[in-house]
Amino acid sequence: MEFEAVIGLEIHVELNARTKLFCDCPNNPGDEPNINTCPVCLWFPGAVPRLSQEALEKAALLCLALGAELQPKSAFDQKVYYYPDLPKGFQLSQAHLPLSRGGGIDITDEDGTTKRLRIHHIHMEEDVAKLVHEMEGRVPISLVDFNRAGAPLVEIVTEPDFRTPYQAMEFLKALRTQVRYAGSSECSMENGTMRVDANISIRPKGTGQMNTKVEVKNMNSVRHVGDAIAHEISRQSACVQAGETVVLHTRLWDPDKKVTLPMRAKFEGPCVPDPIVPAIELSQQDIKALRSRLPEMPAARAERFVSQHGLTGEEATFLSTDPDVAAYFETLLGQGIAPRTAMHWLTTQLIPAVRDRGQELGTTPVTPARFAMLLKMLSNDEINANAAREVLVHLFDSEESPDAIVHARGFKQVSDRGELDSLIDRVLGEQPSAVNDFRAGQSKAMGFLIGQIMQASGGKANPKIIRELLAKKLEKM
Amino acid sequence: MDSIFVYLNPETVSEGSGPLQGLKISIQPNISASGWPTDAGSNALINFKALVDATLVSRLREAGAVIKGLTRMSEFGFGLAGSRAGDAVSRGAVDAELVLDLMGESRLAAQRAVVCGFKPSYGLISRYGLIGLIPSMENCGVLSRSLKNIREMVKIIAGPDEKDFSLPDEKLPDFSPQKVNPKKTTVGVITETKSGLQGDQESALHAAIDELKEAGFRIKEMSFPDFSLFSLVHKIVGSVEASSCAGRYDSVRYGHRVPGAKNWNEMYLSSREEAFGLLVKSYLFQGAFFQFQRYDAYEDACRIRARLLEDMQKTMSKADFLLLPAANGVPTDATASLSGTYEQFSPTVFANVTGQPALYLPSASGSAQSGFQLAGPRLGDARLFAMGEYLLNLRQGGKS
Repeated sequence: MEFEAVIGLEIHVELNARTKLFCDCPNNPGDEPNINTCPVCLWFPGAVPRLSQEALEKAALLCLALGAELQPKSAFDQKVYYYPDLPKGFQLSQAHLPLSRGGGIDITDEDGTTKRLRIHHIHMEEDVAKLVHEMEGRVPISLVDFNRAGAPLVEIVTEPDFRTPYQAMEFLKALRTQVRYAGSSECSMENGTMRVDANISIRPKGTGQMNTKVEVKNMNSVRHVGDAIAHEISRQSACVQAGETVVLHTRLWDPDKKVTLPMRAKFEGPCVPDPIVPAIELSQQDIKALRSRLPEMPAARAERFVSQHGLTGEEATFLSTDPDVAAYFETLLGQGIAPRTAMHWLTTQLIPAVRDRGQELGTTPVTPARFAMLLKMLSNDEINANAAREVLVHLFDSEESPDAIVHARGFKQVSDRGELDSLIDRVLGEQPSAVNDFRAGQSKAMGFLIGQIMQASGGKANPKIIRELLAKKLEKM
Repeated sequence: MDSIFVYLNPETVSEGSGPLQGLKISIQPNISASGWPTDAGSNALINFKALVDATLVSRLREAGAVIKGLTRMSEFGFGLAGSRAGDAVSRGAVDAELVLDLMGESRLAAQRAVVCGFKPSYGLISRYGLIGLIPSMENCGVLSRSLKNIREMVKIIAGPDEKDFSLPDEKLPDFSPQKVNPKKTTVGVITETKSGLQGDQESALHAAIDELKEAGFRIKEMSFPDFSLFSLVHKIVGSVEASSCAGRYDSVRYGHRVPGAKNWNEMYLSSREEAFGLLVKSYLFQGAFFQFQRYDAYEDACRIRARLLEDMQKTMSKADFLLLPAANGVPTDATASLSGTYEQFSPTVFANVTGQPALYLPSASGSAQSGFQLAGPRLGDARLFAMGEYLLNLRQGGKS
């Protein structure tokens, strides 16, 4: 029997708001343990939670960026359970009245068709504290770090529209792009600012059955989500084919063994409306004002790159996926760099170099202004491409301007025809066999000679002029 | 007999200066005063010291009042069993007392002490620093012999607080003295509250009606068929809120802990078993029951609450104030069962469910027999004070 999978995702995104969700403590969970705490986020008696306006706005922008409909009224509920990382006994979440409903993302599926993957709703919630398990001598101890307690989260709950690991991975990549554009979160699975749970069930292909689902957690990259789903589909298929029934439970992905393993379920109680935090009411005007704060989103930006700058769809999509890359690209254009030159040098040289050095495009010392100056020297024929690549290396290591580096280190291109003329004569004299080859009709010999001349110039010769002069000379010979 | 105070402030002079200069006030251990033992009357919070001043405490101090200390309270201020609320005022140890009103405690304590007791509109006074049990029903009440004192204090402590966003956006009442014209003032008496009265409740209510009539007020008898549901709604919704509110008392960072548990779960369960008293424990059990087993009934109670609120709004649109009976006698420890407590507070609990202001006034005779309650519309606190002060003035032979 052929099976197909029915997959839904629950995605927790930690908002990059300055403070926690209900108090003024810094939202920096990675700091020294229990530094970013106050009576509110330590959940002490007498503390009153106050919803952060910034976190609400970041969450709302995230919803809008995912095409969701902000609800005129949403409210917090208490998800009641006790666990040492939640010593308050309940987590404030939006169970009954979520911040937004609907929305979704169009992805390009494996067969090239467009598939709509819908979002059921998006709600806000507070994060719990972090448990750290250690040994004190031979006694295992558990420590609680409240830096994360009360950190602002949203949970994106999708419809069970997914059928393949590929769709889930494409959805997550597109979601990450949208949310980064909205400025609400970095959405890094590696750093834990995006956490994905997948609910997976299988059914005979072509039927509309909804069978018992299994929840899979603990994937820390988009690739792991795909692997875990693929593993779970084959595990369940084998299970059903062996005549066993799938039982409702939660499994953890083991990235080393590449298998999912069952985990003990955490007890969760019902949700009751929170009597303290006031309901969130958004008027049509509020929503309009929020919408106007969304930047141009990646799809629109890519389209504009194609129509305005003559890039191909693929190039435009690549440049617009990361808002930092897109912004860098546009700054280069603003400095008068031609779109194709900017695109080519950004994607083939700068981005790999920045990545190799573990830097970010937004903060690298090779600022758009410096990089633009370099590209300008290239297009003005002051330096050639070889030299530009070398100058780029120096730009990472020194604060000097590209201009200064070119002059100080002699990268300036030699375009003087007289100088090049004698250089060519010298190389032709040294390479009589290559000259003969060329005259015998071997056009490859031309490339060899150009290479030799470039080498002789220490890489500084203007290759365009060399080619022109050499061709004339060889013709006359 | 246990002493009235469980903690006395070593400082006897006021820190600030202002309209409440020299006024002596007692609070209870569920109202935070920085560094003071704040156990809310429960072993579940034993050794907990408040980290900050409650907003109302800092406002009182700034206005020149002296916080004299903490008076003995019932566990979590739920009911009055074991509480000495009201005694400090009646013995003249302080000018006023602050007592959280979860279901009528400030009004019943006032009745016991034969003084005035006031429960403000929900949200009028910041809850920052108050260790409550039933967040949607409770607020800080004030007891004093002098209603003017209460008004002056409420004027100081009421109003928006950047630490508590639950305060209403609506316009704050103006607490300056107001004129009352009895001929243009209608006082409603709810028919359903007149039946089933016991002891001196009935005679006290009739005495109050006579007093108001004599003063020239228009008395209007009105029907509120579902009045008895206030208790039921409070009992269900309140217990569910209490159950999740008290879920945090785990003995880890403060509170009574049973030693020797094998794991955190066992420590949590056994410590809570010993920490809570019987009344609170049965209330928490009840809340957990509705939350986990009968969620539908809890939802019904929430719907009924919304309907009762509408009914009360309609009622208040036909009268300026409501006159209601006081409790039948004062609670003793013998009534500290859940049903006994709710029975005791059945005349007062409506105002906690609706969030409207309510005032207990002693009877005109000045004896220890039951007085009566007056209630106003939500945020009609200032008018309610005017009405109360007008009546008290008349009793002293004043004109208005």
